[in-house]
Amino acid sequence: MRRPPALVAALGISAALLAVLPIGYLLLRLVEGFDRAVAELLRFRTLELLGNTALLVVAVTLTALVLGFAQAWLTTRSNIRFAALFGVLAALPLAIPSYVIALGYVSLFPGFSGFFGSWLVLTFSTSPYVFLAVTAAMVRTDTAAEEVARTLGYGRWQVLLKITWPQVRPAATASMLLVALYTLSEFGAIAILRYDTFTRAIYNAYRGSFDRTSAASIAVVLLLITLLVIWFERKYRGNYQASSVALTKRLRVDLAGYKPLAIFGLSVASLLSLGLPLASLVVWSIQGVSSVDAGLLVDALLGSVKLAVLAGLVIGVFGTAIALWSVRYRNRLGQFVETISWATHAMPAIVVGLALVFFGANVTPWIYQTTAMLLIAYLILFLPNTLAAIGTPIAQVSRSLEDVSRSLGTPANKTLYRVVLPIAFPGIIAGIGLAALTVLKELPATLLLRPTETNTLATRLWSATGDLAYAQAAPYALLLVIIAGLPALALNAQARKALSEVRS
Amino acid sequence: MAGLNLLALTKHFGDLKVLTAVDLEVKDREFVAVLGSSGAGKSTLLRLIAGFEKPDSGSIQLDGLEISNSDTVLVPEKRSIGIVPQDAALFPHLTVSQNIGFGLAGLTAKDRAARVLDLLKLVELEDFRDTKPDKLSGGQAQRVALARALAPRPKLVLMDEPFSALDAELRTRLRLDVKAILKAEGATAILVTHDQEEALSLADRVAVLRNGKIVQVGSPTEIYNSPADIGIATFLGDSVLIDGKVVAGKLVTALGSLTPLNRVIDGESGLVAIRGENFYLQPNPNGEGEVVGQVFFGHDAVVEVLTRGIKIRARSNGPFAPEVGMKVTVWVRGAVNFYPA
Repeated sequence: MRRPPALVAALGISAALLAVLPIGYLLLRLVEGFDRAVAELLRFRTLELLGNTALLVVAVTLTALVLGFAQAWLTTRSNIRFAALFGVLAALPLAIPSYVIALGYVSLFPGFSGFFGSWLVLTFSTSPYVFLAVTAAMVRTDTAAEEVARTLGYGRWQVLLKITWPQVRPAATASMLLVALYTLSEFGAIAILRYDTFTRAIYNAYRGSFDRTSAASIAVVLLLITLLVIWFERKYRGNYQASSVALTKRLRVDLAGYKPLAIFGLSVASLLSLGLPLASLVVWSIQGVSSVDAGLLVDALLGSVKLAVLAGLVIGVFGTAIALWSVRYRNRLGQFVETISWATHAMPAIVVGLALVFFGANVTPWIYQTTAMLLIAYLILFLPNTLAAIGTPIAQVSRSLEDVSRSLGTPANKTLYRVVLPIAFPGIIAGIGLAALTVLKELPATLLLRPTETNTLATRLWSATGDLAYAQAAPYALLLVIIAGLPALALNAQARKALSEVRS
Repeated sequence: MAGLNLLALTKHFGDLKVLTAVDLEVKDREFVAVLGSSGAGKSTLLRLIAGFEKPDSGSIQLDGLEISNSDTVLVPEKRSIGIVPQDAALFPHLTVSQNIGFGLAGLTAKDRAARVLDLLKLVELEDFRDTKPDKLSGGQAQRVALARALAPRPKLVLMDEPFSALDAELRTRLRLDVKAILKAEGATAILVTHDQEEALSLADRVAVLRNGKIVQVGSPTEIYNSPADIGIATFLGDSVLIDGKVVAGKLVTALGSLTPLNRVIDGESGLVAIRGENFYLQPNPNGEGEVVGQVFFGHDAVVEVLTRGIKIRARSNGPFAPEVGMKVTVWVRGAVNFYPA
């Protein structure tokens, strides 16, 4: 087997080390202070947090499924008007960080908080994941089978339950697990809505005392639950194989008299998930335009962009190295490095942040509370998804191009940057762009690790919300949606594909 | 000694014996076609010669130097062996000129430009020098791929079914172009193909590869007229096999006494291979043969005739292909090959 270039191997191994060392250190410290950690966990409070978290995860997952599935079916399988428009509206909440939706609501209804508020906001934030996955599956299932069932005496609902649902179930299940992971690790919206789950408790414990054992022990419990859900996700994802070909001829069910009701339902959903929170933010922004310090806004914008660009480059360089290693020079060590880099996939940002706080304060004080530390956090958090985005274009470069290049006298390493990387370049840039846009929206790790003088749009929004200064928070929220959310949605390949297929 | 020499080249993938003891010599400036059906080991042979695979045993020599054996393989970039893949595999991020100049890194910019221009002229694509590959037709792409492989003046050019993705008319034209281009460059070349017409019409010599073994090497006429065994006889062209016995230097068969093409020994019995074009059908209401099938191709037709209990397939040219149901007399023209049992 070909060996990877030294630079690729060095970058890959350091990324893998950066990804696992902090979490490993966190676990090690807890094992050392085992008795105290156990005592910390055996309090009634832990049980309460577990209950709260579980309740929210189950509730959000179920409502997101119902909402996302309904939107998918109505836009791809029924003959309602404006199906394409409703498809876009159903995906659009992806562009809005959930803490921005939460801010929109809480600034409109001050009493909007606790379980109910968190449930509603997270349902709106996560239903697009179900919508996109189910849409993709629905356009790939044969509608003729449904018509056959109708001729055999099945009613509309029976067909939905016995023919349609089984065909999209794998996609729906996979997206439900994604929603569960999202809810488990959500911090911003839940904190703004003051509902006590693990993430908020970890943050409060960290802020509230100098003894970080309490925060660390709760973090480890959250970590274990997350791993459990990821294990489920892996298990199911393995079974899910969607056909890659969309059916060109798709029959749409005639809703007849129910059409107005369907349109009404879709409109209400979009109004609540997009219209209301965004309108609220716009109104507050206009009201607060005089009280917002433009200097602070620009400073936060520059801070955000600087971090996003730096993080994008760091993630891009490490991600490209690992993707090259695993795709072009597949060997055992490369596979191991890739697996390790994936290990932090879906890990709650607050846990990663806390682990780095521990590691930084105790092992590497020279980079603690520096930009470098924050970049490491972003690398851990966003490398897995970027890896997938970068790996695909690299894997798509045909092997025979490399063969030709070498037969023309170009050695393997040189072929890498004369042939493979230039061809994959647009895809790599898109992956880096997506990572950078995700960094713009990141809140919990940024809060824990940012250098004291660094402010971002997200942290400004956070502190203004903490002071109940909604008029000051709103412009930051809108700016985030415009510069991070919408471009990210535009770059999202899955969303683009699903939406183009809704139309057909 | 110039040219390529394969000596007892063997390559197995696990239990699968892809190539077994392949010997082949390609002389300087010679154009050799390796003809084999899919799975015969053609692609593996090319990958071994190009240096992408290591042989299990045997050796490859180029210009008298050993470049591959079971221990060491000279890396592809140091072999000076160009390849033209099946799908052309042009670099999508480079223009036609940049593709052709890719292997000329060692030249000065001026020399490189001159060489690229020569090749653009040779493959008649001067107007496309700044075009990106996705704007080229399949035939143009293959010509660029050939020019790219020839540019560094390699010692050998390998072509892996370069015409298979093209439509029939284009394929015929491009084949002639390629032959002329290779001769103009004085290149030594190996073409692998499953298409016997391609192999026979293009190459100076043809090597027939079957189940990982070279079973016959010779000029196209030798290969076609004197297939070494029944398998090759049926693979090359449409042959009917009938029983025959050698009596006084002639082949005695159900279709009469035939002249052998190869050397035969009196008293032997075996199979006689008769090609479609050897049959002559004479319309005759009292003939013993009856036409039972006909496939019309325009320039000729294949006519199936049942005669004396034997079903033959005759190639009949001209506008008067016998119709189904007609009675005919079957004649065999010319000499035929005999394979003792």
